[in-house]
Amino acid sequence: MATAQVSEAEKVYILHGIRDDLRVDGRGCEDYRHMEVETDVVSNTDGSAKVTLGHTAVLVGVKAEIGKPRPMIPDEGYLEFFVDCSANATPEFEGRGGEELGTELSNTLYKVFNNQHSLDLRSLCISPGEHCWVLYVDVLLLQCDGNLYDAISVAIKAALFNTKIPKVHISSDDEGGKEIELSDDPYDCMRLDVENVPCMVTLCKIGHRHVVDVTLQEKACSVASLVISVTHKGVITCTRKVGRGSLDPESICEMTEAGKRVGKALHSPLMKLLQQEESLGKKRQKVGFLG
Amino acid sequence: MLKSKTFVKKTRSGGVMKVVREHYLRDDIWCGSEICTECKQDSTVLQRDACIESNLCTFPHYLVPDTNVVLHQIDVLEDPVICNVIILQTVLQEVRHRSAPVYKRLKDIIHEQGRHFYTFTNEHHRETFIEREPGESANDRNDRAIRVAVKWYSQHLKTDESGPDGVRVVLLTNDQGNKQKAEDNGLLVYRFEEYIKSLIANTELVDRLALSNEDKNEIASSKILFPEHLPLSKIQAGIKSGSFIQGTFRASRDNYLEATVFVQGEGEDSNEVLIQGLQNLNRAVHQDVVAVQLLPKNQWVAPSSVVLQDEGAAKDDDVDGDEEEKLLKQSLTKSTRKATGKVVGIIKRSWRPFCGMLNVSQIKESTRHLFTPADRRIPRIRIETRQASTLAGQRIMVAIDGWPKDSRYPNGHFVRSLGNAGEKDTEEEVLLLEHDVPHQAFSQAVLSFLPKMPWIITPEDMAQRQDLRHLTVCSVDPPGCTDIDDALHCRELENGNLEVGVHIADVSHFIRPGNALDKEAANRGTTVYLCGKRIDMVPELLSSNLCSLRSNVERFAFSCIWEMNHNAEILKTRFTKSVINSKASLTYAEAQMRIDDTNKNDDITKSLRGLNKLAKILKRKRIENGALTLSSLEVRFHIDSETHDPIDLQTKELKETNSMVEEFMLLANISVAQKIYDEFPECALLRKHPAPPPSNYDILMKAAKSKNVTIHVDSAKALADSLDGAKVDGFQYFNTLLRILATRCMMQAVYFCSGMDSDFHHYGLASPIYTHFTSPIRRYADIIVHRLLAVAIGADSTYPDLMDKHKQSALCNNLNYRHKMSQYAQRASVAFHTQLFFKTRGILNEEGFVLFVRKNAIIVLIPKFGLEGTVFFDSKDKASPKLVFDEEGPTLKVEQHTFNIFDKVKVTISLDDSNIQHQKIRMALIEPVIPGVSVPVPEAEPQAKKQKLDR
Amino acid sequence: MAGLELLTDQGYRLDGRKASELRKFQARMGVFAQADGSAYLEQGNTKALAVVYGPHEIRGSRSRALHDRAVINCQYSMATFSTAERKRRPHGDRKSTEMSLHLKQTFEAAVMTQLFPRSQIDIYVKILQSDGGNYSVCVNAATLAVIDAGIPMRDYVCACTVGFVDETPLADLCYAEESGGVSSLALALLPRGGQIALVQMDARLHQDHLETLIEAAMTACKGVSKVLDEVVRQHLQEASVHSRE
Repeated sequence: MATAQVSEAEKVYILHGIRDDLRVDGRGCEDYRHMEVETDVVSNTDGSAKVTLGHTAVLVGVKAEIGKPRPMIPDEGYLEFFVDCSANATPEFEGRGGEELGTELSNTLYKVFNNQHSLDLRSLCISPGEHCWVLYVDVLLLQCDGNLYDAISVAIKAALFNTKIPKVHISSDDEGGKEIELSDDPYDCMRLDVENVPCMVTLCKIGHRHVVDVTLQEKACSVASLVISVTHKGVITCTRKVGRGSLDPESICEMTEAGKRVGKALHSPLMKLLQQEESLGKKRQKVGFLG
Repeated sequence: MLKSKTFVKKTRSGGVMKVVREHYLRDDIWCGSEICTECKQDSTVLQRDACIESNLCTFPHYLVPDTNVVLHQIDVLEDPVICNVIILQTVLQEVRHRSAPVYKRLKDIIHEQGRHFYTFTNEHHRETFIEREPGESANDRNDRAIRVAVKWYSQHLKTDESGPDGVRVVLLTNDQGNKQKAEDNGLLVYRFEEYIKSLIANTELVDRLALSNEDKNEIASSKILFPEHLPLSKIQAGIKSGSFIQGTFRASRDNYLEATVFVQGEGEDSNEVLIQGLQNLNRAVHQDVVAVQLLPKNQWVAPSSVVLQDEGAAKDDDVDGDEEEKLLKQSLTKSTRKATGKVVGIIKRSWRPFCGMLNVSQIKESTRHLFTPADRRIPRIRIETRQASTLAGQRIMVAIDGWPKDSRYPNGHFVRSLGNAGEKDTEEEVLLLEHDVPHQAFSQAVLSFLPKMPWIITPEDMAQRQDLRHLTVCSVDPPGCTDIDDALHCRELENGNLEVGVHIADVSHFIRPGNALDKEAANRGTTVYLCGKRIDMVPELLSSNLCSLRSNVERFAFSCIWEMNHNAEILKTRFTKSVINSKASLTYAEAQMRIDDTNKNDDITKSLRGLNKLAKILKRKRIENGALTLSSLEVRFHIDSETHDPIDLQTKELKETNSMVEEFMLLANISVAQKIYDEFPECALLRKHPAPPPSNYDILMKAAKSKNVTIHVDSAKALADSLDGAKVDGFQYFNTLLRILATRCMMQAVYFCSGMDSDFHHYGLASPIYTHFTSPIRRYADIIVHRLLAVAIGADSTYPDLMDKHKQSALCNNLNYRHKMSQYAQRASVAFHTQLFFKTRGILNEEGFVLFVRKNAIIVLIPKFGLEGTVFFDSKDKASPKLVFDEEGPTLKVEQHTFNIFDKVKVTISLDDSNIQHQKIRMALIEPVIPGVSVPVPEAEPQAKKQKLDR
Repeated sequence: MAGLELLTDQGYRLDGRKASELRKFQARMGVFAQADGSAYLEQGNTKALAVVYGPHEIRGSRSRALHDRAVINCQYSMATFSTAERKRRPHGDRKSTEMSLHLKQTFEAAVMTQLFPRSQIDIYVKILQSDGGNYSVCVNAATLAVIDAGIPMRDYVCACTVGFVDETPLADLCYAEESGGVSSLALALLPRGGQIALVQMDARLHQDHLETLIEAAMTACKGVSKVLDEVVRQHLQEASVHSRE
């Protein structure tokens, strides 16, 4: 659920534990919960990934469509984000209940991912000013148990890694008219370079400590948190304070440092995992939701 | 029976849409062979001793043709010699995508049980399915799938029957690469030609082979005669950018170096592009869809009036053309220049087998000969045959295989012989083929959907129908009619009103949507009536028996029943499926006699009198509304019962009863049209008859004016009235002639789908809405209308195609085309029989009337024979007389005599058979006598011919 | 180009199934921990996720409460990437609303709501990938989720979409068949009593064929019920092994 109710006694217990770097589930402050990543789970998308982090579960599908480049940047394609906070995650999201959270999440995703630094958007351009690839990145929230940003960012990175965009070539005639022809060979496709795609790390200030990957109970004890996006080189591309409380500048600096450290460490096992999965090719047994 | 494995096929179509489909593989697909003990199949198709005697394969074997073999060599595959063939699903699917006609022919062969063609669903077989490899093209993948399936078969059959007498599998392919790979895999593989040539005692099959690429190279001279055709992608780009124009190529009938390309524009805005010269024609054949590039304006030319026929011999290929082209160039004058272009590419060939005759090569040993098609618009075709001496003098069919750029003529192959030229059966066959009338015997697949005999009416049938067997229903038709579509009844009700019923054969009960029988009927579209011959739309069991509303048998009908008052005003209309028992099948004459015979007072006669009375009122009302009564002379031949030659001809005469039946049919059609349109405004199949543009009437008005009669054409009513009033004293035939002319001014009535059009008016009948309901045995449109009506009254179910206005519109196009072609075929048949008739009669002298006046000729109608002929005043071998043509009249002044429309003339009629492919009736003027133009009255017909007839 | 041939002369469908064969079923119950019941079901390429919350107190306005039985609340939605052409929004359009309503009707007929007066049961179904028969797959997935939640039902509700081609009823249509001009019918059945919980047909079909079509649909639903029963038993076995450990 999006929020959990925690009693005073529980709060004290959690706070005391964190003070001693021992969380309710036995983790230290900078430890993630068990994370599972699987790609290519929805066969009619161009790329997809499913990520579970504790009880948080997200599914990301990427669909490539041919669109018109933005007038200001005619030689780049672009990404579109949509976050569907489905009622499956919690009855609170029923009807239009999930829209607010969804908009908040997708706005952040635009800022973090839709720029030349994280993805080579020029490679998505087909013919400048006329045609480009638009990647629709749709995030489906299936279960919320805290730390949505991190789970979503990992899933997006994995899904983009998995994305296969059909190769097109443009035939032009004497009059300058252009026609887009899709390759007839299904194996003939373009892959994206996801090396610079950042991951997001959310740090919660609980008591005096900064905690990574909080559960809902822990979140209830926190006053405010900071979301930062970090590339594999440790470059911070975006920070954002979320939550109702306030933070002093000092702890923001500390949290940024901690986030950088954690984020940097997140990338290499993820890439390793993705490449390993990719190398299995067709032999891989798909698990999806059946496992 | 469980699914074995799931594969995912990804196809991309349109924009960018990823389509994912499941693909199940099975292990319960059997091999279909008699010798197999492993497969748990209920029945087998492929025989144990599958023997086609061949030098190459002396053992029993099954054939597996690849896609291109099926597509190009279907003529050979259709021969009954070829049997025990495995058609792979891969091949079947590819054929289906690439050629609908070949697919249909292949399916027909598969359905014929005697042929032992087995369809193997290899794409879903666990062991023969393959996935496309990276970098492999779709074609390569399919070729590989075929090889894998052949491999599977050879192993599968080997393990079953031990020893060398087992059945082997032979792959037939003309693709070198594929053959090589198959050989590497250890498969038995032959080129198709190689295999066919090895067949013992079937040498004539070799002639039917379509030429493969290598053979073509052999024939062609090294000199390149034609410009290269552009590839399709370039053509499409060119059309898009406007540099090329797409259109239908229409070769000129009179000049083989000239053609026009008809470009379909928006609405009425269509135009034509002229093409002249071999190079510019660039191997396009009549009716092909081509891409044309316009020439610069200074190279535009005028259509030539020269008649040129390609007479060149096979060998001196490219010489004569140039000479004749020079001839063309001389005839251009600036003012008449038209848009001229050249063919740059072919978008769609519309090659079909063509009828014609062989010009046997002068070189005796030669196996290559030129073939001259009957249709002058089709170029001559070079074929290879060893039976030239037998085929000379015969009408044969030839299919075009290709036209390389270094060959003067297209290459083709012999398909079959139709028989000796000039013989009645042969010529009938030719005219059917040339008018694209499907007339082959119904296939097994089609026949399998006929009801099983003896056919009986079950209680379930009765429960769904109204029992009308007690009514005094009778049918009135021309003599000798066996496909009786309609029957009528009329009786007085207790309230004093009249109940009139039109009962139409319930054909849609027997022909269910979508099955082979239905598809065949939909394709044929109409029954074609030739002189002394009928080409049925549905098999005879239905047309002449189960559907035919014969007397004293119980038949299913679709009835339209009105309650009318004595003024023929409709009070109630209802439609119902029924069972009737006709009490009498009468001819028009018999019905007329009963009505006229005051002594007769039986139920049938009373019913007829009631109908007749109402019909007269209906007709009067209709005419008051402005319906037209037009006229055309129809000819009936009296055919000799033994020789089937025509011995006499007479024009059809109309009796009161003809019009009686007609009135009720019209009424039923209108009632039904209204009903189905109310129920299905989007997809009702209707028939419209557009009003002709006023300019069409020019000739009629001018002609009438020449006799001081004014014709008003502002509306149908005005036209009908002025035609009625048009009389000239002492010239009885004038009115009929005028009506014949008026008929020629009319537009063609057409079927259309109500959702695709807004103008429904039927001009000739002056009805706001009309359809065809009353002849389902001989017209497919009526079957669709029956189905729509049945759905409307809840008597039958609908199906998707019935409700799809686009599909229905496509169907209408076919029906209109078939209808038109059947009329042409009918006319051609009458013309041929007229020729036969005059052949036996020798020379005749008859009176006639001038129907049209042309620049150099008059067209004369002989009322006695309903025959039209042209009297030419200029001819090749004689100096032409002085001709003055006045378009205003129109009149033609020949020397001193002026011909007007409707002038009475006397002509002599004879048969000109100097060209065996194109025999024609020739007329020459006797009266009025114009010195140097008219001919003396010839002798009476020779006696000898008459004796022959008396025999 | 010629259209699709839905049924070959040899009796095989586009994907190689015979007329009465169902697609491949794969299912798992208890996918999510937070919900009271959840299930994931694949029927060929149509994949659905169903979760159940409840029975719990009525959320929102109390006036919706029924004094003699529980309120069933359903929401049907589709992932934006579930269809070949991307959807603009996951739910709230007319079709999803209609689908939600159908689900509600179906489960009102099956769940023993009288046991939980004044309470509410939420059933949320999400289509992750769509390849025909969405309604049926949702019903089947929801059935598993309701069972997983331990809510008593009269019987399994099994649904199947069937179509009519060439006088032959086809079971469990895939998308290509649904869109290829087949008149299709969706039917939800309580198999043990042979009771029909919902039947829906939008296409035009002659009354005479309706009986054969419903017959075929019921046979197909019974097939579905067998598969679902297996899934449930398997799940229980695993669960009991788990708890023993």
